[in-house]
Amino acid sequence: MVKVEDIKKEAKRILKEGKVKYIIGYKKSTNGLMSVPAFIESPEDVENLIWDPTCVYNLTRFLVDEKRRKAREKNPDERPVGIVVKGCDSRAIIVLLQEKFINRENIYVLGISCETTGVLDEKKLLKKLNGKKAEKVEYDEKDNFIITTLDGKSKVPADEILAERCLECRANFPVINDILFGEKVDRKLDNRFKSLEKIESLSKEKRWGFWKEQLDKCIRCYACRSVCPMCYCDECVVDTINFAVTADTTAEEKAQRIKWVEKSPTTSENFVYHFVRAIHLAGRCIDCGECERVCPMDIPLRFLNKKMEKEAKELFDYDAGFDPDQPSLVSCFKDEDPEDFIR
Amino acid sequence: MTDEFEPRIVAFLCKWCSSAGSDLAGVSRMEYPSNVLPITVMCSGSVSPLYIFSAFNKGADGVLVSGCHPGDCHYLKGNYYARRRIALVKKLLEFIGLEPQRFQMSWVSAAEGKKYTQVIKDFVKEIKPLGPQTKLRRNQ
Ligand code: SF4
Ligand code: SF4
Ligand code: FES
Repeated sequence: MVKVEDIKKEAKRILKEGKVKYIIGYKKSTNGLMSVPAFIESPEDVENLIWDPTCVYNLTRFLVDEKRRKAREKNPDERPVGIVVKGCDSRAIIVLLQEKFINRENIYVLGISCETTGVLDEKKLLKKLNGKKAEKVEYDEKDNFIITTLDGKSKVPADEILAERCLECRANFPVINDILFGEKVDRKLDNRFKSLEKIESLSKEKRWGFWKEQLDKCIRCYACRSVCPMCYCDECVVDTINFAVTADTTAEEKAQRIKWVEKSPTTSENFVYHFVRAIHLAGRCIDCGECERVCPMDIPLRFLNKKMEKEAKELFDYDAGFDPDQPSLVSCFKDEDPEDFIR
Repeated sequence: MTDEFEPRIVAFLCKWCSSAGSDLAGVSRMEYPSNVLPITVMCSGSVSPLYIFSAFNKGADGVLVSGCHPGDCHYLKGNYYARRRIALVKKLLEFIGLEPQRFQMSWVSAAEGKKYTQVIKDFVKEIKPLGPQTKLRRNQ
């Protein structure tokens, strides 16, 4: 695993030189094992930075907030923001660049390669420890995690507690960076859609049963939307009021506005929400798995996005998050796009 | 008294081809099932996936998107975009377990009144045995 000292050194340098206005990275939580996002503004605070297998968050979401904040400021600080990214997160940056949501000069990318490992799945870890609290998780560079609890240390094979997305990660190194930590290690991955294919192979009615059961659980808290770096729309079609209401808007006009989805978390409405989400993320989702991680109802949201990822690949040979200059999936076409389903 | 199930099909027809094609079928007095609720759109490329989800949500038993043949779109490229988008929507709907027959796309030109009636006939024939679409419908 990359040494945090190297990251700190660079962080200190760019802050001292005033190259960046602040750095978004990870720090230790005051409560529990998992890291939390850190906003480092001065060279002294750099000591707080950490890098370990609990650095799961995709911090690029904060670039969306940064852009909004900046738009409101009268005299914004034009210097770039430093941001720590893993491979998956770096692909989110590519998509944001591709969609011209951010500019290259707005960011200074501290890219970290996951090398031979990845990040933890907290839920898997909890299960593994039977509720015991882990104090520390380290990687032993030999495909194991060493977990320290009150009872001492234990060794767990990495793939038992790695995040699902890491097990199917197709590029575990930053595809864009201003400085790269660690080495680009090619991990062998025979099938990045393996877990998805388990669901695909179910019969139609079984699939329906599966999704109905899962999506019925959704309470429409929209945490999945809030955490997603690609869900940056100012207004979302699933919200009841998604048009500006001014002093001149009459009651009649308000009443006539299209309400695409009801707020109530019932089967039919939840499906519309999740369809919209999946389609709006097709060709854009880079599989950071954040939606699934934050879902309080444990809905396997990743599969919906993964399905679109797979179809984009198979039907249109399209891969999200590698080339900021390629047109986005649904705003381009090829003459030879499949049309065997059309009458 | 047992009424035979008559599916309701929402058809998004592009103004320049498919809608004109359906008009032709009408004025030529061709016979075809009356199960279709046609909605004219400016171009197949203007059909948002949300329209499709919404139609199923509001109780459609089948949804059809129909536009000009490739190369003939009034806006030159709209139907190529539609082709991509609809392919993804179709895969998504099938993935969650909707019957694939319930969502279809066709190319129908303004001169193809006959083809339009055939598309509708086949559609109705294929989804009749499936019965009403209840999976995605609101308030069932
Ligand atoms: S998905 Fe890949 S890049 Fe992201 S944390 Fe896991 S191994 Fe690293
Ligand atoms: S986070 Fe989970 S419960 Fe909340 S809206 Fe998303 S899917 Fe539904
Ligand atoms: S105008 Fe008919 S498909 Fe575009």
